[in-house]
Amino acid sequence: MSVTARPATRSTAPLGRLLRSELRTALCRRRTLVALGVLALVPVLIGAGVAAQGSAGTGRVSGLITAASGNGLLLPVAALAATLDLLLPLAVSLAAADILAGEAACGALRGRLLAPVSRPRLVAVKACAVCVVAVLAVLVVALVGLATGAAVLGGAGQLLTLSGSVVGTGDALARIALAVGWTALQVAAVGAVALAVSSVTDHPLVVVASVLGGAIGFGVLDTIPSLGWLHPWLLTTAWTALPDVLRDPMPTDGLLRGALLAAGYLVVGLVAAVAGLVRREG
Amino acid sequence: MTGRDSVTLCPRATDGPPGSGGPEGGGRARAAVPAARLRGLRKEFRGTVALDSVDLDVPAGSVLGLLGPNGSGKTTLLRLLLGLSRPTSGRVELLGQPMPDGAATALPHVGALVEGTGFLPSLSGRDNLTRCAAAEPLLASPAAPAVDAALHRVGLAGGPDEPAARRYRAYSPGMRQRLGLAAALLVPRRLVVLDEPTTALDPVGAREVRGLIHELRAAGTTVLLSSHLLAEVEEVCTHVAVLMSGAVVAAGELETLLNADSPTLVVRTTEPGPALAALRAAGVSGSYPERGSVVVDLTDTAADLVLRVLVQAGVPVSEARRRRTGLEDLFVQLAEAAG
Repeated sequence: MSVTARPATRSTAPLGRLLRSELRTALCRRRTLVALGVLALVPVLIGAGVAAQGSAGTGRVSGLITAASGNGLLLPVAALAATLDLLLPLAVSLAAADILAGEAACGALRGRLLAPVSRPRLVAVKACAVCVVAVLAVLVVALVGLATGAAVLGGAGQLLTLSGSVVGTGDALARIALAVGWTALQVAAVGAVALAVSSVTDHPLVVVASVLGGAIGFGVLDTIPSLGWLHPWLLTTAWTALPDVLRDPMPTDGLLRGALLAAGYLVVGLVAAVAGLVRREG
Repeated sequence: MTGRDSVTLCPRATDGPPGSGGPEGGGRARAAVPAARLRGLRKEFRGTVALDSVDLDVPAGSVLGLLGPNGSGKTTLLRLLLGLSRPTSGRVELLGQPMPDGAATALPHVGALVEGTGFLPSLSGRDNLTRCAAAEPLLASPAAPAVDAALHRVGLAGGPDEPAARRYRAYSPGMRQRLGLAAALLVPRRLVVLDEPTTALDPVGAREVRGLIHELRAAGTTVLLSSHLLAEVEEVCTHVAVLMSGAVVAAGELETLLNADSPTLVVRTTEPGPALAALRAAGVSGSYPERGSVVVDLTDTAADLVLRVLVQAGVPVSEARRRRTGLEDLFVQLAEAAG
């Protein structure tokens, strides 16, 4: 065994090895795989539904879905908008719940602390793993949406924007890529907040309930006119900007504001997660 | 180390003393710095005092048994020692480092199994151990050989249907305990902390763990174990600390503690009456009969004098042995004094 004891020297496991270990654990969880599978079904179901009857609707998401009829390149964005409200936050909060609260409940977190891995470093690798899950979830929705759109809805490689203009494949793919990046940032922000909750509880269910309760609660707050001053600060309210990527020319105000707001939630969530884990009794 | 016998627990710390000094020499070389030192330690949980004014040294190279009834603060003490929680007041040193701030320096050399085993139920034993290995600072990559060696050492690897390949969820309590030990022994350690290491094990498993503790000690590793199995502590430990209601009520070398009471000699004889008479005639006080034997207080009398008196008086003596206070007696005495 090539181990040398170096007494009284500060040492820590290589960051890459630790990160790979956390990633393997997070991505091989059956829950994560099931969540990704369910997310992959959403664009397929939407595509099939639209192809079957070209459903009519007036809401934010159902309007988008209607617009996807015969407009396959629109499906990825429609699917992202449909999943961003609840399913994507659910997927990422499951991962965040397992990675801290779940491991604390079964005692595996103690092993990490005793190895030792410093607590800020531990939050950093776990946050990376949660972000990877967020990106994967968004990519699954977008890529399956792209494939389904091409296979079922057609559109001849062109995108009919919500403004009525037609843009080419390259432009459409760029818009989809922007939607993917923007949505991934939103989901990562939810993941960071979930990680903060996860850092102070031993119950994974509390994390999932907090995130879903928060998403629904924010939705309720958004409907109360007297709280108008609060609305610009609600992450869920910013999510209404996602269909903007399908307008021509693209209005960037809402998207930019949403991105900055998500970055703010991300930073606050990560700081709170570090504080939560540092103060926690291991 | 992979070619090792798969059943017996045979560790060998490779960070043992260099050269031909042997384990004893290594133990002495490190004796200057105790493996752990607690001073004036106090821990409160929301107004409840779990530990109070605890002073304790774990000498380097010793096997210290931490005894105490349930709820006496054993696990709290171990958690503070390992930096898992912060003391309300007092000082904790682990391998010379203040805890919890010196955790990064001290903990790589410490293997611990506290508060039961902590593994992910959905992963196999081997995957769980690989996960642990990824976080061990002193373990070189790739970690697979060390993981394999540790699994062999605790008897979880080898064979066509090796337990290491099964999910942790399906493990018996004994197998879980073995995996926890394997995690504590992934790297050669200077200190191994074991919280109730044999609780879930059957007699064979418990004996294997005791053998493992002996071998760790022989390799110069300090062992701190908590237990409520007095016989086990008496068998494997060199030092003992007794915790009652959050305070250390006795600590020291096992031999010293056990011999602290007045020593007695038990002489087995078929004629207790004449034996007592002979002893009394010779001026030996404090002897009394007990089930085919005569028990003699050795506080003021030498054992050889007692035997000479008896033999000269023609009393048939079939056996004579010194009786120590058992750890159990000591424990009960302390419990009564504390209660």
